[in-house]
Amino acid sequence: MSAPVTTTQPPSPPPPDPHPPRPAALDPTRLRLALRAAPRHPLAVAGLAALFALGVGMLLVLAAGAELATAWQALDEGMFGSPYAIGSSLNSAAVLALIAAGFTVAHRAGLVNVGGEGQLCAGGTAAAAVGLALPAGVPAALGVPLVLVAGFLAGAAWAGIAAWLRVRRGTSEVITTLLLNFIGIGLVSVAVHEEALLRQPVTSSETLPQSAPLPTGAQLPLIGGPESPATAVVPIAVLAVVVTGIVLRHTALGLRLRAVGHSPAASARLGLPVGRLEGGGLAVAGGLAGVAGAALVATAPYVLAEHFSSGYGFAGLVVGLLARGSLTAVAAASLLFGFLTSGGINLQLAAQVPASTVQIVQSVLVLSIAAAMLFTTRRPGSRR
Amino acid sequence: MALPLLLASSGELLSERAGVLNLSVEGMMLTGAFAGAVGADASGSAAVGVLTAVVAGLLFAALQALLSITLRADQIVTGITANALALGATTYGARLVFGDGAGAKTLPGLDPLAVPLLHEIPVLGPALFEQTLLGYLAFALALALALAFSRRRTAGLAVDAVGEDALSADRSGLPVTAIRYGTVLLTGVTSALAGAHLALSEVHAFSDNITGGIGYLAVVAVIAGRWRAWPTLLACLVFGLAQSLQFAAPALGLHLSAPLLVALPYVFALLAVSGLVGRSRAPSGLTVPFVRAS
Repeated sequence: MSAPVTTTQPPSPPPPDPHPPRPAALDPTRLRLALRAAPRHPLAVAGLAALFALGVGMLLVLAAGAELATAWQALDEGMFGSPYAIGSSLNSAAVLALIAAGFTVAHRAGLVNVGGEGQLCAGGTAAAAVGLALPAGVPAALGVPLVLVAGFLAGAAWAGIAAWLRVRRGTSEVITTLLLNFIGIGLVSVAVHEEALLRQPVTSSETLPQSAPLPTGAQLPLIGGPESPATAVVPIAVLAVVVTGIVLRHTALGLRLRAVGHSPAASARLGLPVGRLEGGGLAVAGGLAGVAGAALVATAPYVLAEHFSSGYGFAGLVVGLLARGSLTAVAAASLLFGFLTSGGINLQLAAQVPASTVQIVQSVLVLSIAAAMLFTTRRPGSRR
Repeated sequence: MALPLLLASSGELLSERAGVLNLSVEGMMLTGAFAGAVGADASGSAAVGVLTAVVAGLLFAALQALLSITLRADQIVTGITANALALGATTYGARLVFGDGAGAKTLPGLDPLAVPLLHEIPVLGPALFEQTLLGYLAFALALALALAFSRRRTAGLAVDAVGEDALSADRSGLPVTAIRYGTVLLTGVTSALAGAHLALSEVHAFSDNITGGIGYLAVVAVIAGRWRAWPTLLACLVFGLAQSLQFAAPALGLHLSAPLLVALPYVFALLAVSGLVGRSRAPSGLTVPFVRAS
């Protein structure tokens, strides 16, 4: 963060035009001159931002009254300390990567999908409904794909509402997907509170408002060793990131999406189906978030419950924002955030530092990168 | 229920008219609620709490303004991330200040003051005239902002000019950056007061994520109100009414699922922005950063 330097610059000399002089900090050419020495490469900027965020994190640890060494040990233990830690970190990273990969597809078409949380909820609800409707002895080769496809379709349909409004009525997808988050969260609540819907049979006053567990054939298979909770969501997420990467980069469809993202008007002139591309991009984003929701339901304890999303939808959005349109960055940022999330839980358990420290550090990281974008020579991934 | 919404959106309306889409209203409200709770708890006085809330709201808004106006960062990215930051920071702070049982601690709050006679009007009376001092202040502030920045006044026209075409506004001598900073800071004050109202007048406690999405409703109310003060007020009232239904439904004998009612304001908001209220046009400079052509 080298921005504050500029605020101490002396005011610029009077320009030849009749306007009064402005403080130097508001003059872009001067800003650029002053920061000519500052790093321009996006990776260098990201590195500086990461250092800054790390510094904030250390201050927060100290403010909570913990030793830095203890906190570091707790964080490390929570991230890499055991097969269990690594496995659950990888699961988190996979869920984040699915949402962020979807975000990137929509982003390429010029849309900002803020609705990962709602789409994840819709996907999870549909996955639970399908999984519970399956007979108890269903083979995993049939049950798991059905559950995941249900998640994809429901997530895509949820995003489809926003896509339809955007294409037909011109309503900003930022606002509609945002609102659909809250409605999606409500949908899950309703589903798990009503016995007529997905609530497990109420036998006593202590029956929790959640669904019955999914049959074995609908549960995601474990892929790690005996102590690792890593499930098939990890290879699924890798596949999703690789496939979206290839489609966006090396196919005509990817080029069309990018064209629409750069200029809908020019794309329409060229005869591209702008509405269908935009809507499709958003629907795929929703679908991938829906798969993430289905994966969460199909992972231990295999139930749909309120707050089953644990804020993954919003965290995945932050990963997508951080990656700024690059799928390599999506993979890297998902791993970073996935491991940090697991580490943060242990930070609270072992070092008594609030787990929200991790959330603060993540937001500071994204904010400082967003702030520094002015100084990089080129803006990767224009929004509209 | 509509009061925090109304107050927050009265500031947000100005900042959007000036061209800054302040998605961080939610974060500003949360910051205000937390700072208000800490101030009231530390000093034992709710008035000090309100003051700390305003200061914290200003600081938070200054950060947002620096990022989105001076550094020209993407307003959607900064808005959403600033909300995540506020959620993380207030949750962290609540652990440190109030310990784990944050929600349980009762704070020195504000008591409702009934206006003689007027509060006996059926239905309207209790809603309007049994507020706390902060509540009346909120009404007055929202009204004052709507009148002072009406489109019939110079100040309102200046704000609109900056939001519609910043370059032309700059050429005609309007201080574009100062006006944008001013509106964002103002939003910080109104949102923080709205948050403090939640924590000190309504709940008398702070709990994690106490605002729970009201800030987003405030942003949507402005859009549904087509960037005009009176329709925005109407939207706030509708959303607020939908919110209070979750408490009123059992009393009215309605047996609706509680989670369904919690989501109801958002359904209304979605219907409102998706064109039930008619086509609308945003200020053309909304989310467009201002760079003076050299």
